[in-house]
Amino acid sequence: MLANNNLKICHRLMWREFRFHKGCSILLVTALTLVSMLCTFSFAIGFMVRSGLKYSYQIQYGSTSHILYYGLNSVQAASVARHADVKETVRLKVLGLLSDDMLGYRNVKLAVADDGWAAATEAVPVSGRMPEADDEIAMDELTLQSLAIPRKEGAKVQLRWTPVDGGEERVDTFYLCGWWKSPMGYTETCAWVTPNAAGRLCPDAPDYLDLGVTLYRPRNLDRQAQEILREQGADKVPYTTNLAYNRARRQRMNEKAFPFYLMNIAVVVCGILMVYNIVRISTVQNARFYGRVKSLGMSPRQIGRFIVVQAAYLCLPAIPAGWLSGFVLYMVTAPYVLLGTGGEHPAFLFLNPAPFACSALLTWFTAFTACLLPARLVSGSRPAEAMKYTGLSAAIPAEDRSGAKKRRCRVPFMALYGIRRDKKKAVFAAASMCLSMTLLCGFWTQYISTDEEKYMREIAYCDYLIADASTANSLQRYNPASHSVTPELIEEIAGQKAVTAIGTVRTMEIPMYADEAGRAPIVESFEGENEEGVVRKAYMSGSPDWVSGYEKFRTTGEYIGIASGIDGLAESVILSEGEYVEGVYDAERFAAGNYVIAAGASETSFVSTPPIGSSVEIGGRQFKIMAAVSYKGHIITGADSREAAFNVSYYMPVQVFEELFPECGIRNVLVNIDHNSQKEFEEFLSKKIRDTGIAVKMRSDYQWEFGNALFHNYVIPIFVGAVLFLIGILNFANALVTGVLIRKKEMAVYESLGMTQLQLRRLLVGEGLMYGGMMTAFLVPAVSLMTWLWTGWWAVYSASAWCVTWKYSLLPMWIALPVLLVLVMVIPLGCLHMIRKESVTQRLQIVE
Amino acid sequence: MASINLPEQQKKGESDMDAIVKVTNLKKYYGNGEALVKALDGVDLEIERGKFTAIVGTSGSGKSTLLNMLGGLDVPSEGSVRIGNQELARLTAEQATIFRRKQIGFIFQNYNLVPVLTVWENIIFPISLDARKPDRKFIMEIVNLLGLESKLDSFPNQLSGGQQQRVAIARALATKPSIILADEPTGNLDSRTSDGVISLLRVTSEQFHQTIVMITHNPEIAAHADRVVHIEDGRIVADAS
Ligand SMILES: Nc1ncnc2c1ncn2[C@@H]1O[C@H](COP(=O)(O)OP(=O)(O)OP(=O)(O)O)[C@@H](O)[C@H]1O
Ligand SMILES: [Mg+2]
Repeated sequence: MLANNNLKICHRLMWREFRFHKGCSILLVTALTLVSMLCTFSFAIGFMVRSGLKYSYQIQYGSTSHILYYGLNSVQAASVARHADVKETVRLKVLGLLSDDMLGYRNVKLAVADDGWAAATEAVPVSGRMPEADDEIAMDELTLQSLAIPRKEGAKVQLRWTPVDGGEERVDTFYLCGWWKSPMGYTETCAWVTPNAAGRLCPDAPDYLDLGVTLYRPRNLDRQAQEILREQGADKVPYTTNLAYNRARRQRMNEKAFPFYLMNIAVVVCGILMVYNIVRISTVQNARFYGRVKSLGMSPRQIGRFIVVQAAYLCLPAIPAGWLSGFVLYMVTAPYVLLGTGGEHPAFLFLNPAPFACSALLTWFTAFTACLLPARLVSGSRPAEAMKYTGLSAAIPAEDRSGAKKRRCRVPFMALYGIRRDKKKAVFAAASMCLSMTLLCGFWTQYISTDEEKYMREIAYCDYLIADASTANSLQRYNPASHSVTPELIEEIAGQKAVTAIGTVRTMEIPMYADEAGRAPIVESFEGENEEGVVRKAYMSGSPDWVSGYEKFRTTGEYIGIASGIDGLAESVILSEGEYVEGVYDAERFAAGNYVIAAGASETSFVSTPPIGSSVEIGGRQFKIMAAVSYKGHIITGADSREAAFNVSYYMPVQVFEELFPECGIRNVLVNIDHNSQKEFEEFLSKKIRDTGIAVKMRSDYQWEFGNALFHNYVIPIFVGAVLFLIGILNFANALVTGVLIRKKEMAVYESLGMTQLQLRRLLVGEGLMYGGMMTAFLVPAVSLMTWLWTGWWAVYSASAWCVTWKYSLLPMWIALPVLLVLVMVIPLGCLHMIRKESVTQRLQIVE
Repeated sequence: MASINLPEQQKKGESDMDAIVKVTNLKKYYGNGEALVKALDGVDLEIERGKFTAIVGTSGSGKSTLLNMLGGLDVPSEGSVRIGNQELARLTAEQATIFRRKQIGFIFQNYNLVPVLTVWENIIFPISLDARKPDRKFIMEIVNLLGLESKLDSFPNQLSGGQQQRVAIARALATKPSIILADEPTGNLDSRTSDGVISLLRVTSEQFHQTIVMITHNPEIAAHADRVVHIEDGRIVADAS
């Protein structure tokens, strides 16, 4: 019967093939392991980069919930929780806000302990536990530090707080039962008390709670939040949505992870090429194999099964081995790629089964495709043709015939025939080599082209940037009343011999108003398109605070201005060396105190400030705008208030600023030093700022950051390129090895006809050199051109073009080519040595 | 490279009845213990110059093994093989190879032509290996005799089995070897073609005074031979001229 297909025989055949070509099988499994490893690695890194970014957005937002509703009553909360789109909710019953001055701008809520909310905001006690007795309290470490409470169970906690329902500020005493430390609590966190304690503290508290909502499918969170409210008939409830799910930010996350995913394509392509080359052993042998089994009556279905089984056998050991090695690789590199995860190993923090699944899938795909190809090769031909297949039959070029007419023996040229016979293999080897070499040379060029000088010029304006304690973290809001940097400290620093320049920055947020004329240029610059045809406003869609601030400004003219008093080094960095889009900076007139310099987002033709020459009122005093300079955010540490996400900065001399805002502290100090005495100065500085909370960003920090960015951007791709190149080399070596091994019998024939070992060697080395020569002739122009085009484009148009000085280099290729040339000579000779271990008679008996 | 004593075919004074091959107490064992196979177990044999000798015997009796020993493709476990004045055991592998290409012509059952070379190139292949100039006239004589004139520019896979075997014969003759060793040269051919090939072998051996040792299963072919050596279980059991 036609359907009577014995599929078991496929397994046996497979198993025998496997055993008979043991070396080949090991090579195959190794190749697939490499593929699996690289896929696991790059997927895992990609996922981690994505999750890391998402996590940092969540930190910024302060919660992992998708939407936070504020001030719902318990009926509303219950009905939101029942909504079809809502997966789960967490509740927070807020009693009041801690109102101790020492907390600065941090928002610490006194609330009823809730495990769900605590988990969503990472406010779960790590030491100790949640409160159980009525006078117990659990708090975060930052708050404990601010309030100078020892981290010890049972420590007495005296809290000043203000009830939410607008009652009087009061003081209560608790005992510490647990604490935690989490980056999510920088801006907002909770202090937990028991429900009983809540009843005691606020006996007649209104029914009023916050609700964190997690949706099944977060899409457009704003719309979804409104829809849910509308269905409750309560659209006046205030809410916020998680930044991590903002469209623009999600796009940014994907963009960051994309290059890592992209690498997988290269891995798979090279992997298929390699496995294919090995599986095929040679076109000749495989075509004959499939021809033979077909002629013996193996049905297409049996052949199909054979291939599936073949791929499965190969993947079985390769995938787990790849997972393991890929994971180890990922674990080692993860800390360099993702920084600031606070001690926890980022590899474990964002561990996810998806990379492993993806890698297994791709490895299987690689194995299957590669196993399928040789069978497809003969699928069209009849068994008789397949069995006679020598790889030559189809086309013997005309020139050869004419050459033969001369009847010279071309034994020295026999090498050429060998290559022609394996033409496809050579093409594949060359292609995978070309791909990996281009990757290597490209990333190498990018690596050496990234210019530290340029980077430092753009990023670091001074050797040391000293930051007020309230701005030590980039998410912390600056508190002008902090005064941690004192004039005495500045004097002392200025008194150091090493210091060559020093300057200060003070800032104050003030509500301002712009009339139609004042608004016009700003609105125009944001509503207009940039060179790429994108409306500039669109770039800011990732920060909702900016958008709402801008909309308010556009419609009402009200906005937050940031008055900034600068002197010394800060003045020269921001103003004297600033990029002016409009107007000219006149230092003398500026010092007189009737002028301010406006700064905003800028491009070559636009700056988002009110027009030059117009008047602004700051702190009750009228100023004229002298010029518009592009804003240098790197000089200012910490965050401004959320309302000030959209703002315009106005620079004025320090003396003027101090007259207007005498109570305001110093936000930043810029210091330049003589680099020879860097060590002594750093010692002095670190001693000075110890225990003050003041943070210092040093030039060496910037350099370290630069190195890290470089590592992140290029070292990993270079590494992957190198591994791909290794695959390419293996591929190539394999082509060489099989090229000799399948000619075992041919070599025996030569020997029986009297070819000496020397002649055999000469033949193989000749073949190898010819092969290598052709490879070089192809690779050098191809790789040079491709690298040139790629990096040339990159140096001008990529996102990192601003810190690039293009240095085109093909160093990796120049290193790799000699290796290649050595291989093409050494490998065939090694193989010859191996096959000569078998006697001529044995080899002559080989059945082909 | 050590000099090699070549049997001097043309030396005057030596009669045609000289033994060109002298085999004494030749033994070849494969494996050991239980699995010991005595492929050859004490063979003594002399083959005269210019004679056509056939070796017969059942399958597995050791014919191929003997032939390979004669051609220096394999080394004996014991005993000696002398071709002309040359004791084969004294040669290094390298010397044996050179000796082979100068003095011995092989004809295999499955032809073993070099697929990437044309017929002409295949024929002169052993000569090219020796970096000698082929004797064009002589080779064309062989080619004409074997009827291969029109196929010289073809590649082996464009030939029939019989044609390929004729190319193999031409290749074996081209070097003017002292002795031609043929292992079932007609094993893959039909009886008419094999008759043709065998008579060609006979004719060429007579015409060029070639010594030929041929293995065959075919009694009819054996009947053409000057002498038939019968081997069983690695020993000569009958020797009839
Ligand atoms: N490499 C080897 N290892 C083990 N035994 C071998 C080997 N080569 C040959 N033999 C054994 O030696 C014996 C003689 O083999 P040989 O090839 O000489 O037989 P033969 O007479 O040529 O047979 P046929 O007519 O079938 O070709 C056989 O029993 C064979 O199994
Ligand atoms: Mg035999």
